[in-house]
Amino acid sequence: MDDFDYHAVVVGSGAGGAMAAYELTRQGIKVLLLEAGRDYDPKTETPMFKTNHEAPLLGSSNKDKNFGFYDATVDGGWQVPDEPYTTAEGSEFMWWRARMLGGRTNHWGRYSLRFSHHDFKGKSRDGLGADWPFEYDDIAPWYDKTEKLVGVCGANTDHEDMPHSAPGVLQEPPKPRVTELLVAAAAGKEGIRAVPMHRAVLTKSQDIRQKCFYATPCGHGCSIGAAFQTTTSLIPLAKQTGNLKVITDAMVRTVDTDSDGQVTGLTYVDKNTGKDIKLLSKVVILAASSCESARILLNSKTDVHPAGLANSSGQVGRNLMDSTGAGIGAYIPALRNRPRYNEDGHTANHLFIPWWGHDAQAKGELDFPRGYHFEIGSGFREPGSWVAGDFQGYGLSVKEEARAAYGSYISFALRGEMLPNDDCYMEIDDEVTDKWGIPVAKFHWKFSEHEINQVKHGLETAKKIFANMGADVGDLPAPEDAILKGGQIIHEVGATRMGEDPADSVTNQWGQTWDCPNLFVMDAGTFASNPHKNCTLTILTLAMRNADWLAGQIKQGAL
Amino acid sequence: MSNNNQQRIYVPQMSRRDSLKWLGALAATTAVPGLVACSDAVPVKQTTGTITGHWPELKLTPISAAGYGTDPNLIMPPATPWPRTLTTAQLDTVAVLCDWIIPSEGSNPSATQVKVPDVIDEWVSAPYDGQQRDRETIFHLLAWLDDEAKLHGAKSFIALTDEKQQSILDAIATRDDNIQGAYTRPADAFSRYRALVLAGYFSSPQGRKDIGFKGNVAIGGDYPGPSEEARAHINKVIDDLGLSEYAYPDY
Repeated sequence: MDDFDYHAVVVGSGAGGAMAAYELTRQGIKVLLLEAGRDYDPKTETPMFKTNHEAPLLGSSNKDKNFGFYDATVDGGWQVPDEPYTTAEGSEFMWWRARMLGGRTNHWGRYSLRFSHHDFKGKSRDGLGADWPFEYDDIAPWYDKTEKLVGVCGANTDHEDMPHSAPGVLQEPPKPRVTELLVAAAAGKEGIRAVPMHRAVLTKSQDIRQKCFYATPCGHGCSIGAAFQTTTSLIPLAKQTGNLKVITDAMVRTVDTDSDGQVTGLTYVDKNTGKDIKLLSKVVILAASSCESARILLNSKTDVHPAGLANSSGQVGRNLMDSTGAGIGAYIPALRNRPRYNEDGHTANHLFIPWWGHDAQAKGELDFPRGYHFEIGSGFREPGSWVAGDFQGYGLSVKEEARAAYGSYISFALRGEMLPNDDCYMEIDDEVTDKWGIPVAKFHWKFSEHEINQVKHGLETAKKIFANMGADVGDLPAPEDAILKGGQIIHEVGATRMGEDPADSVTNQWGQTWDCPNLFVMDAGTFASNPHKNCTLTILTLAMRNADWLAGQIKQGAL
Repeated sequence: MSNNNQQRIYVPQMSRRDSLKWLGALAATTAVPGLVACSDAVPVKQTTGTITGHWPELKLTPISAAGYGTDPNLIMPPATPWPRTLTTAQLDTVAVLCDWIIPSEGSNPSATQVKVPDVIDEWVSAPYDGQQRDRETIFHLLAWLDDEAKLHGAKSFIALTDEKQQSILDAIATRDDNIQGAYTRPADAFSRYRALVLAGYFSSPQGRKDIGFKGNVAIGGDYPGPSEEARAHINKVIDDLGLSEYAYPDY
């Protein structure tokens, strides 16, 4: 890097890292971006229009490809080759990682819901968890800028849980599918609204990206850039400035400090040679994912930072949260043999059910403090390794059942807010290292009654909505059994939370660590709470806002 | 090869691109021991409920081939990602069962016409846990069918007349409370087999058309949404369910 005089090193090329690099390079600051995985080009590697029929095992999932053959994830999933993690006895936690340029943005669900004023000040309302160190109004303009840049389709609907975007920011959402119209009516009878989902999918072209052509699941990646991923947008746009250099296969071992404890740079393993490379840098930005960034900090302990770097508060690795998750579905008899049409759309929810219970919670009518939403699973999907229907016998009657049942099932995915608790955290395993000799993360996990009660409420509400559709979901499972495992929703956040007080937080509101002014965290680790609204849009927004603040500091000569 | 093929009930898919890989797979198969367990099947008498039945006891060697890994080529998926392991006799029985489950229907082809037996062979030969469980299930089902045929005096299931084959399938193809105890295990296995055949058929290009899948086509303008017919249908459904007053307002 002798020929490239960078000012900052960014670790990680996903939502946070790529946005930080985009914003800094846009403002003329030279950035070196490190990615632990391989280079990846969606233009040449995305399986557009490929069918399950053409894939091994009809495209179904297995230990190599956890979300199916065509899922964009490279060298990742619930396990990464040669890079284990551990869980404490009695804990179950699943940690999804990707090892590729763009990280998890290559396959994410693209659901892009703003957090609201409720979400940033939960503790002020109910005394639980932590408030964020700013108000919704502080971040609203940054949501507008981020949504505009990313390209988010959706609508402003005056829903209490969904703040409006500024006029002209959102792109047009696609028309609802008939199954979603049915859910909307059935939920309406319970006084619950369905509204357009907000998704990071272009419905009109912008910059170097084309609009959606409504085919190929977004999880496969998107060669035309319509479904947002940093590899078709922020990274190539940042490269156009001439201020960005990217190094892939670079696995960071430690952030390095001097004898005074101040950050001087970092050390990474070049995975191609196995050799350690030391980099000096005026500023280091960690955006390796909540738990990977915390892992790096904890592994960077020195005599000056005996508990790990930036961990004078003892909060690095603590406050780990995922979204709650549960699923419920049913066969809808009235949808049997329904008329066919192309239901691909943008391949995910056109409508969904946002959290409707703020008033009830304010009145103390609910036995859980935080909200959830329902995502709707339905549609005439491309047949794969499983065909719906109640099959008996053989011959033409079986085919008739398959045709009749096709597209007649609807499912809800509950996604809810969990609160931080003392039982959910990560630390460094003192016995296990990965292939590169780097000590691995060890997870501790236990949901509290807040999450269990919330899932119970969700299942009971869903049952009513399904009954309104003429469907019987049968006996409900116990919420303790229905709730999905920690980490399984892949919204793990909070391991380096931000706050107003260095005593109980790792960074200030700008993602700047309290202990080291030239060390920043710009991934979901900084989240002070984990609202139910899917974390990526807020990772992107915070990274843009905080990189802009950092650029100001650099221009003033402060960093 | 062509003479052999004429005598076979089912000829595996052999496009020009695939043929070399197929030969490679055959060569690789011979290097993997213990895969032809079915021919050694011995009927095992057992009692389930009050009715005596039989269920073969096969000891299958686990598949040891490598999977396609965590970074396969998604644009050109491997045509034969691992050696196929069904014997000719197994493949023939698989094919006969396929077409009992999905016969041709007007212009719609049968399951074997869209090469579902190849899907089954790839499936049961895969090194992953789920497929290995299905391999156990399906190999036992195939052996059970031959054992059952022997009780009818035939050498194998496919040597039986159509009527006899049907009478055996009739005993196991409906899995409900009335099923005779002797048939519960083969019926469970048949249910799993049928699900795979349905998946193989309906995911094929002809099967997608048969079931009415209309997606996976590029749309130049806005997503058009439901057809007039689909919208009229859902409006009636919403009306019939008494939900009209809660119908979704457009934003």
